[in-house]
Amino acid sequence: MAEVSVTKGLIKGVVKLTVLLTVGFVCLFLFGKILSAPTEDGYRFFPMLGSRVWVWIIAQLHLNFAAFVLGVPIFAVSMEFLSWRRTDDRLDRIAYDFTKLFTLAYTLTAIAGTVLMVSLPLLYPKFMGHLMDILGPTWWLYIVVMYGEVLVCYYYFYSWHQMKDKKGVHVAIGVLLNFMGLTMLLITSSWVGYMTTPGGVSETGALINRWAAIKTYMWIPLSLHRLVANVVFGAGIAAAYAAYRFITSETDEDRAYYDWMGYTSAMISIGFSLILPGIGYLLGVEIYAYNEQMGIQLMGGFFAWLWVMQAILIGAILMFVNYYLWISLNKMPGGERYFKYVKFLFIIMLLGYTVWLTPHSVALSLEEARRIGAYHPILGNLGVMAAKNTAVVISYLATFLSFAIFKMSNKEPVVPWAKAGNAIRIILVLGSSVAMLGIGVYSYMVTSAVRVKVLSPIQFGIFFVTIIALFILDNMMYKNAKIIGEPRWGKMPERSQYALIGITVTFTWLMAMMGYMRSGGRQYWHVYGIMKDTSPDAYLPTHGYAAIVCSTVTVLFFLFIGLLFWSIMKLEKAQAAKGGAKA
Amino acid sequence: MKGGGLKLLAVVIGLNIFFTYIGLYFLPQSESQPPKTIKIEKGVTVDELLSLGEEISFSKGQCMVCHPMKAETGMRAPAISTIGGEMVKSAKERNMKPEAYVFEALVNPAEYVQKGFENMMPPIHKSPTSLNEGELIAVAAFLQSKGSQVTVSYPESLEALKEQIAKEAKKGGS
Repeated sequence: MAEVSVTKGLIKGVVKLTVLLTVGFVCLFLFGKILSAPTEDGYRFFPMLGSRVWVWIIAQLHLNFAAFVLGVPIFAVSMEFLSWRRTDDRLDRIAYDFTKLFTLAYTLTAIAGTVLMVSLPLLYPKFMGHLMDILGPTWWLYIVVMYGEVLVCYYYFYSWHQMKDKKGVHVAIGVLLNFMGLTMLLITSSWVGYMTTPGGVSETGALINRWAAIKTYMWIPLSLHRLVANVVFGAGIAAAYAAYRFITSETDEDRAYYDWMGYTSAMISIGFSLILPGIGYLLGVEIYAYNEQMGIQLMGGFFAWLWVMQAILIGAILMFVNYYLWISLNKMPGGERYFKYVKFLFIIMLLGYTVWLTPHSVALSLEEARRIGAYHPILGNLGVMAAKNTAVVISYLATFLSFAIFKMSNKEPVVPWAKAGNAIRIILVLGSSVAMLGIGVYSYMVTSAVRVKVLSPIQFGIFFVTIIALFILDNMMYKNAKIIGEPRWGKMPERSQYALIGITVTFTWLMAMMGYMRSGGRQYWHVYGIMKDTSPDAYLPTHGYAAIVCSTVTVLFFLFIGLLFWSIMKLEKAQAAKGGAKA
Repeated sequence: MKGGGLKLLAVVIGLNIFFTYIGLYFLPQSESQPPKTIKIEKGVTVDELLSLGEEISFSKGQCMVCHPMKAETGMRAPAISTIGGEMVKSAKERNMKPEAYVFEALVNPAEYVQKGFENMMPPIHKSPTSLNEGELIAVAAFLQSKGSQVTVSYPESLEALKEQIAKEAKKGGS
């Protein structure tokens, strides 16, 4: 791949995109002629699966790939920038590997996008007609930006080696690529924002102000949430790639590199995931501000049990991360000094996990709980946000401590104030834990408004201030520290790599479920309060049914991603063989 | 490491089976159907009206999303079990007839917000809740029955309801 010239690479990208778009428009035209006319209220039906499940699977697959190709460039260019400033070849290699991954993934993204582009107008002509009336110009802008992005992306990838002496310019191209990616994200978020929290239209759906239809309540918080989640997801996929390469590596050198890549990617993923609850909170605030009922339906109504499922999934991710970091202590000379703390961290994680996944009520739904009029004496107390938020911040703090322990396990501080520094660390950890627990208990005694608007932000604020303070303190304490030994990269048991895969699979499943919840929050509306869904699918399926669809999407996605990883390896082997033959 | 790729695939599939299992067997299973519109017929009895009002409050009206049945700490909206009595008190304070007050609370809720609560209730005759006139009267009767005398009836109370709807429309509420 890398030997293809820049011009040829650009032509390849444009041709691929044009062919796919042409195929899309031709299919739309032909199927529009061949298929029977839509029903009176504007629906066609997809055979066997039904329209909803078909669009659900394709849209989520497209979204997964899109998240990957929008998220990975952010840290690819960050790594390239660092490699340029620090002249570190390993960082340049990882940046290049990331770029290789997302450039190849563009094709799969575009294929899924084309199938979606054909499916939606054919199956939901009336609804899509309405969307085009309101937001049509943004769709055409989307196509223009998409061409721009593909051109910049392919240029960025194919010029990597040619521009190795012009790193500054190449990094700037990477920044431009991210800017275009951000523009695409903003455009697509405006569509979802309009469907969920519509504005700029009359009660009958007639356009009043297009900008207001774009700039809805949900637009910016959703875009921010997606942006960060894309980085988390993209880094997770990169970690999965590293795990795959680690397990299939044949040399110690490759194992060392992919072990390091897996560790770096996983830490980027988890590091960015710390911000997600905060931005998710902002998104929630905007949804509540738009329509209190929709907010409560999402948080405590039909979807209440899916928040328990979310806790199970995020708790599992944190468990995988902690397990990975604890195993990683084995490769750090001096790491054995910290083995004794692992059991305490495990107990904290387990307690936090238990509270987090405790449901508020064993009732089937909010409606049933309201009819009963009372909650379980134990579950009722542990299942509320006061307990859950506390469990979340304590679990995250324990995860951060696992990370900090790993980072410092092969070092000994030499600063004269090391003992005082350790004492400050203990005070910070214990003090913040007591404060967060105290706020959690006090949250039971106040009104929901005070709990949501005042105490929860303070609790999360304490958490962030603590980890920032610990980060700064550790950096100061371990500056010029005595190194006991360099990390033995590659000396990791195979099971550690399954933990990395576990993180990514769980996160992908979580994305599928949260996507379903965000979409299901509209209930029986295509555009909330404006355009009703009158199709036979205008109901929310059982959680079990939704789980089957989420798993189907996740397995399909990993099959495609596995194919991508495999083809990259094949290409590399073919290139190596070609190089060897030439030599 | 031979067979590594297959083992990874097994992890992917195994985790998905595990999550599906939780979704199928640990989470409660019910569907959420779009609400049905209830047509209130002329001559409906008070008991029938109350029963319909309760059904609408728990379904299409979505009242119970925010209102708990019994008072609880930190509740977002007044408890239903005593709401009728509370409304009579507030109506007296504001020199309003109980009938006018209960309709105002449903279609023009921003006009008066009970102390200790926030202005968060939407006018429920409008989209997305969109209760029709008969449904609004049934809900009003059900609420009044919780701690006070039921003074609304169908179709006699239609005029009082329409007056409150007109007031809300005049205000330019969206």
